[in-house]
Amino acid sequence: MANSFLTSSSQQPFQFPPTYSFPPFFTPQPNAATRLSQLQKWSSLIQSWCRHHRIYRFSLVETIDSPLFHNTTLRKRLSLSDARNIIDWMAKPEEDGGGKRAEWIDGANKTMTWIWWRRPEEWAGIVADWVENTGQKNVVLTVYELTQGETTMSQEWHGMDTDAMLRSLNVLVKRGKAQVFGSEGQEGVKFF
Amino acid sequence: MSTRRGVGLGAFANRTQASQSYANHGATLRSTHLSSLQTQLSVFQSLLHTFALEHSSTIKSNPSFRAEFARMCNTIGVDPLAASNVKGKNARKGEGGSIWTQIMGGDMNDFYFEVAVRVVQLCRDTRIENGGLLGVRECRKRVGQGKAIGSGLEITDDDVLRAVKSLEPLGSGFSIVKVGSKQYIRSVPKELNTDQATVLEVIQILGYVSISMLQVNLNWEKARAQTVIDDLLADGLVWLDAQSDEKEYWSPQNLLGDI
Repeated sequence: MANSFLTSSSQQPFQFPPTYSFPPFFTPQPNAATRLSQLQKWSSLIQSWCRHHRIYRFSLVETIDSPLFHNTTLRKRLSLSDARNIIDWMAKPEEDGGGKRAEWIDGANKTMTWIWWRRPEEWAGIVADWVENTGQKNVVLTVYELTQGETTMSQEWHGMDTDAMLRSLNVLVKRGKAQVFGSEGQEGVKFF
Repeated sequence: MSTRRGVGLGAFANRTQASQSYANHGATLRSTHLSSLQTQLSVFQSLLHTFALEHSSTIKSNPSFRAEFARMCNTIGVDPLAASNVKGKNARKGEGGSIWTQIMGGDMNDFYFEVAVRVVQLCRDTRIENGGLLGVRECRKRVGQGKAIGSGLEITDDDVLRAVKSLEPLGSGFSIVKVGSKQYIRSVPKELNTDQATVLEVIQILGYVSISMLQVNLNWEKARAQTVIDDLLADGLVWLDAQSDEKEYWSPQNLLGDI
């Protein structure tokens, strides 16, 4: 993961959207409709930032000082509590706006979060398609091979966090399309 | 006029005769003028027709050429889109569709309807961001780029205004409002009062205002400035930045639905 983080971020710097240079973007908006627009923009920015850097989860306290939440040019920043509110909103289901694009890892503590720029079920679909197209059904693969192996270098999930991959594979397990076995850190997977 | 005045009763008859001849002559002149003007106009219209046919592809593809053409039509009192919009209202008999439909077989109307569709879509997409007030220039830029709404379309502000106008008969609630020198498409039916319009005009200068800026520059009392700002905030027409020395209120016009 550290590897892909470095390569993808050093290849091209992340292009922040124009909204990032809009000073009020960093202040929670008092008007409900405007606030909704603001939350949508933040959700979209966080997702594309994580996608660019191939980040699947982050610690809020560490990330709050990163360029994502801190625009040093404007000298504007998101407060920790507002960042938390935004992640809370992202964690809500589709009908409430957020579309489950985030998920607290440590529950009520709300310090670590998943950012699902692709949700586990979306990853599951992509991985299943790849298995299908490369004729690897009924082949046993290790999760390590799947995320770090040479054969998946060109795939979007390459370098993926193991826990995130297991979450995605679990979707396939529930659908009866895969089986995960082995002990922690040594997981293998077989696709049907 | 005759320099010598007739005397006696005969003079009355002469005067009547003279004024009648004048009137007659005037009428003749008028009718000749009228008929020659009519001829000129019909010649011009047929030339316009030929011109439009000859240059139809340029009119369609070149925005500044199209604007000039529209301006030319307006100068002689022809609204190229009018007939199709207000059918039955003042459409003359035997004339179905607008001049542009007649000239170019509906292509031009289609063009404006396509622009209109994109304008409507952009207004909808940005409504919660800008409170339903979208700058014509910003709209033109975005529709021109075609980002997120299909391919780009080379258009002018004039095309956008025309497109919005073509929506009027639908009772769409889309209208053009002018604040200062800037035109906006308003997609949420709401009147701006004078103070609100003034503040929006001031915002155009720097992109934002603060209460004290309004107090100093407009000689307003604090309560008045605060009330207007609160109204604008409540309508979603400005965004708040609370991370400066004094609260600043920003125009969202350049966001354009970027997420």
